[in-house]
Amino acid sequence: MKKVVVIVLLFTNAIFAQKRELGKVTVEELKEKECPADSSAAAAVLFNIGEVRFEFLEGKGFVMKTRVRTKIKIYKKEAYELANKSVRYYIGNNVKERLNFKDAATYNLVDGKVEKSKLKSDGEFDEKMNKFWARKKIALPNVKEGSIIEYEYTLESEGLGVMEDWTFQMGIPVLYSQFKTIVPEYYVYKPLMRGFLIPKFETTSSNKTVSSTSKERSGGNITTTSFSNNQFSYNEITSVYTLENIPALKDESFVNNIKNYTASIEHELTSLHFPGEPVKNLSTTWENVVKTIYDSDNFGPELNKTGYFDEDINAVLKGLNSNEEKIAAIFNFVKSRMNWNEFFGYSCNDGVRKAYLDKVGNVAEINLMLTAMFRYAGFEANPIVLSSRGNGISMFPSRNAFDYVISGIELNGKIALFDATSKNALPNILPIRDLNWFGRLIRKDGTSVQVDLMPSSNSREVINVMASIDKEGKVSGKLRDQYFDYNAFSYRERNSKVNNESLVERIEKANSGMEVSDFEVQNQNDLSKPIIENYSFNTDNVVEIIGDKMYVSPLLFLTMDENPFKQEKREYPVDFIFPHQNKYNISLTLPEGYEVETLPQPTAVSMPENMANFKYNLSNNGNQLQIIYSLDINSAIMGSEDYEILKNFFKELINKHSEKVVIKKV
Amino acid sequence: MKSVFLSLFFLSLVTHAQKLEYATLTIPDSLKQNANVVVRLNEVLVNIPSQKEMVVKTKTVTTVLNELGLSYLDLSENHDKNRKITKIEAVVYDAFGKELKSFKRKDFRDVSVADGVSIFNDNRALYLDYTPTVYPFTMVFETEVSTSNTAFLQPWSPMEGYLVSVQKSNMTITYKPELKLKVKEINFSGQATIEKTETASSISYAAKNVVARKREELSPGFAKVFPIVYFALENFSLENVEGTATNWAEFGKWYYQSLLADTEEIPVETQAKIKQLVGDEKNPITIAKLIYKYVQEKTRYVSVQVGIGGWKPMLAKEVDKLGYGDCKALTNYTRALLKTVGVDSYYTVVYAGRDDTKDLQEDFASVQGNHVILTLPTDKGFVWLECTSQVQPFGFQGDFTDDRNVLLIKPDGGSIVKTKTFTEIDNKRILKGNYSISAEGHLKGQVTIVSNGLQYDAHFNKIRMSKEDQIKVYKEEFSNINNLSIKKINLSDNSQAVEFGEELALEAEGYAQNTGGKLMFALNAFDQSNYVPKKHKSREFPFQVLRGYTEESEVEIVLPEGYIVEAKPDGIQLDTEFGSYKIEFKVLTSNKILCARKLVIKKGQYDKTKYESYRKFRETLAKNDNSKIIITKA
Repeated sequence: MKKVVVIVLLFTNAIFAQKRELGKVTVEELKEKECPADSSAAAAVLFNIGEVRFEFLEGKGFVMKTRVRTKIKIYKKEAYELANKSVRYYIGNNVKERLNFKDAATYNLVDGKVEKSKLKSDGEFDEKMNKFWARKKIALPNVKEGSIIEYEYTLESEGLGVMEDWTFQMGIPVLYSQFKTIVPEYYVYKPLMRGFLIPKFETTSSNKTVSSTSKERSGGNITTTSFSNNQFSYNEITSVYTLENIPALKDESFVNNIKNYTASIEHELTSLHFPGEPVKNLSTTWENVVKTIYDSDNFGPELNKTGYFDEDINAVLKGLNSNEEKIAAIFNFVKSRMNWNEFFGYSCNDGVRKAYLDKVGNVAEINLMLTAMFRYAGFEANPIVLSSRGNGISMFPSRNAFDYVISGIELNGKIALFDATSKNALPNILPIRDLNWFGRLIRKDGTSVQVDLMPSSNSREVINVMASIDKEGKVSGKLRDQYFDYNAFSYRERNSKVNNESLVERIEKANSGMEVSDFEVQNQNDLSKPIIENYSFNTDNVVEIIGDKMYVSPLLFLTMDENPFKQEKREYPVDFIFPHQNKYNISLTLPEGYEVETLPQPTAVSMPENMANFKYNLSNNGNQLQIIYSLDINSAIMGSEDYEILKNFFKELINKHSEKVVIKKV
Repeated sequence: MKSVFLSLFFLSLVTHAQKLEYATLTIPDSLKQNANVVVRLNEVLVNIPSQKEMVVKTKTVTTVLNELGLSYLDLSENHDKNRKITKIEAVVYDAFGKELKSFKRKDFRDVSVADGVSIFNDNRALYLDYTPTVYPFTMVFETEVSTSNTAFLQPWSPMEGYLVSVQKSNMTITYKPELKLKVKEINFSGQATIEKTETASSISYAAKNVVARKREELSPGFAKVFPIVYFALENFSLENVEGTATNWAEFGKWYYQSLLADTEEIPVETQAKIKQLVGDEKNPITIAKLIYKYVQEKTRYVSVQVGIGGWKPMLAKEVDKLGYGDCKALTNYTRALLKTVGVDSYYTVVYAGRDDTKDLQEDFASVQGNHVILTLPTDKGFVWLECTSQVQPFGFQGDFTDDRNVLLIKPDGGSIVKTKTFTEIDNKRILKGNYSISAEGHLKGQVTIVSNGLQYDAHFNKIRMSKEDQIKVYKEEFSNINNLSIKKINLSDNSQAVEFGEELALEAEGYAQNTGGKLMFALNAFDQSNYVPKKHKSREFPFQVLRGYTEESEVEIVLPEGYIVEAKPDGIQLDTEFGSYKIEFKVLTSNKILCARKLVIKKGQYDKTKYESYRKFRETLAKNDNSKIIITKA
């Protein structure tokens, strides 16, 4: 059976193997009303072909040329914005890039014939965005439902060997996507794939000869090396990655970063092999990557700078004896002195000294100075590079795999983690942006080890309620809500400086029919303690009087009545960010003259391998009702293969939440 | 030596870097209440020596009390080829008035003000990316700008927004008297004491100690509540084109002649095509329909803000060639096409926006508005055309430009008219359906929904969505039903009648909760409203319901075999000045119940004292919408 399929596939390929070129559009293509592979698609990319090659230019050395050709079929008006294309290019100091669009055109079917509208210069715009970047934009003419649009652009770069990422998968179906690199043997790039779809890969090698009259050779710059001999030849390695019939990317909630699941390829320059020079390794293994980072000017040397803080730290440490005290004092000192300017990166920008003086810095400046201070106080402290959630999860070693650095202290065989960019952070409580699997800790000698960044225990939220129901079905009482660990961190990040009045309004708004009074928050600024919210409430929305009975929602307004997982099928893992526990203890007093008629059955439900569980227990003693409930999400990330089970778990949970206690007159 | 240096340093600190007036301690408590920001000083000096010359000097001293106030701080200034920044600098002080840092022009970044919508505009800005090191802090920001545009004079208000107090604010305009300055004051009652000084060639406004206000739900827009003064010159210049604006009629004439008259040319080929399309048709409405459809199919919206400061539309022949344009270009193109076949229509300036209906100031001719539509005069009144939409039905403007004063630009002058008001009768949504409940509590049913008016506007886009997105939208719409699965979707868009039809088959496991062998569920499964406005313990502003609407539904419910009703909600009828609500649960047969519901919400402006009763009305109806029945085995 398998054989048959293969033969058929080959056969169809042979017949329909089309030339994918710009400038050729058929009447059939224009007539097509919907995408055969996905009838709801607003547009489809017919092909998207990228090619990166290195050309030897007289006096300049190797220049990287990227050429992209794209052809898109528009089915619906919703996709018109695809006819406006924008590509950025670098205009900063050292590196010059040139970007050019060409052969941009729209094809329409007019009276049964193909009509081509070319893009003229009035449809092209060049815009300087800031000191470093400019972009060119095109707006293709005469785009209608059914149009086919196409364009080509080339990007020439004399600078660093940074290859643009190639994204195979998009928000619309892509019928054919190819990325080709033609690279001289002197440069070694490592391809890094992402996503669930694996492109077909082919590689060939050929010999190439170029002539040069240049006598100069500029050493330092990576790609502008030119050679003194008049003619030279080298091997060129051609690699081709092809994917066909790629479905549109799906949009889902509870996703960490969609980039992690998008079929794409990234290239990293790993080493330079110039004739007559030793091989220069840039990155190949995690150890090498980290070593390269460590050796770069804006990392290691910045970390090793001292002297700028000595006096201040001496004062901070004065009179402190225990390690815990010293660590906390230094961490608090940096958190309170320094202000994060919201720039990421593992490299310093202004440098630690200036940052320290200005009290403002990027991630690297703040956390490298923190590490240096820990070391100054005698701790075994080291920087930990990581990939923030926005940067995606890095499967393979590369310098782009990291965009962030925090600090770690090895003490009593454990590593404690610190990130001073957030005022609300604590030892081992990192900002959410850091919680992305693993980081790498770099020791003084440049060696490194992997460090797990994910919290190991469940962050708790514990709510205690004492309330009573009156004869009109109104419930009033007192509530105490305690937030621990990451729950406390999130609460502080969300609500720091929000006044109590707004918090009350928020609670009332979220719970229709509820009035809140005597509201107070404890430990807002004392990070060592849990956040505690206390308030009194009354609500007429949790008891229904039908006939002569009352139907009471036992979890009151804490009832979860909507399943957060509505999708039938799931493509990507579900991300709860950190493992957590919600626990409610509720005591309810029934109105005078009432007694319980029915009580929901106690339950305990668990997902396989205890990824999550909930427990629910009700008991009744006279006119007192005691409810104990807990939900544990033990596994912060659940694979899409577990989705069905997770969805059903929440279905059961919500069913249980919605069960009523029925009370009747005695 | 060291001591000398120290004392010198100290001296310089006192004389130079310490500004006691910027210390936070001196701010009165009344200004700190409810405030994230206190504007210590907002001083604007405008000098207009000639019709083509204006210099604006601005000094703002802003104390940011906490992190929430940071987003208020705007350290930027726009510039373009006719607007030059001659001075820009900032100094930041701590709570004691000690200078922390100063910023010169080189510290400001020059960026393009690409708004994300425009594919291109030539506006740029200098801005300072400031990370505070301490709160509170005080930022002194000074700019000086010179421009040849005198068509826009910034308005002045003693209030700077919600949660912002103003200690001192003033604005002075000095101008050449021949240019004739017009002034319009609105909402000048009570909220702040405003001082006004006037001479033959200058005017100034000032206010002191204006306390911060909090935003309240359903409040009318800023310009409807806060005092504000608008300024304009009768003789102005817009991108070096001189203009006059004594009244709307004259302003309209100028507008037409300077900005529209020379943009109308349509290529002969297209003219022929249009004439062929129209054929022998004589009825202007029918002709306009044909041409509107032609434009919808031929063009798309792309914002290109170039030429006369983004005020002159792209030439009609350019739109004809490229097949795209912004609102001005597409509107003007449609107008030019209509003109070729002898149908008059008017380029129409409007403040567009869904969340508020902002009027053009009726008796204050000046350059206003942020959007352009087309108005077709007919025997039965005006027909409004939104030319930037490729999907909107002919003559249906929706809630983007409804119910507000707009300016018609005619060759012989301009005039202010009001666009269509959609009433609660126009905005109708009628639902009919049925469902059955099984003994296991599962729901299975059908609904058909017909929407008109702005309800059409809210729903008709569904037909263009993917199946997946449609399902997502319905799961949101019926979020009161858990475990919902949509078995069938059948949508119909009647753009002629502006009527949208939806036919759905729905199923939901466990809709009825099993409570000790009894089933309990909300009878009104398909037409629930859970919107309840926020509670404001004391309310300061009036409130408005911007648009009215009507919802009507009749749903037949079949109970499972062998079950009888143990208890059933009574239903309710509410008649208020805000609208009316009625829900009934009629027992038809022993296992059939009819749920009939009608909600009418009226458009209206109300005094703040009525807010709580409106809130209660919404709360009661939300509660009754969700009232439950108990059924039990017979």
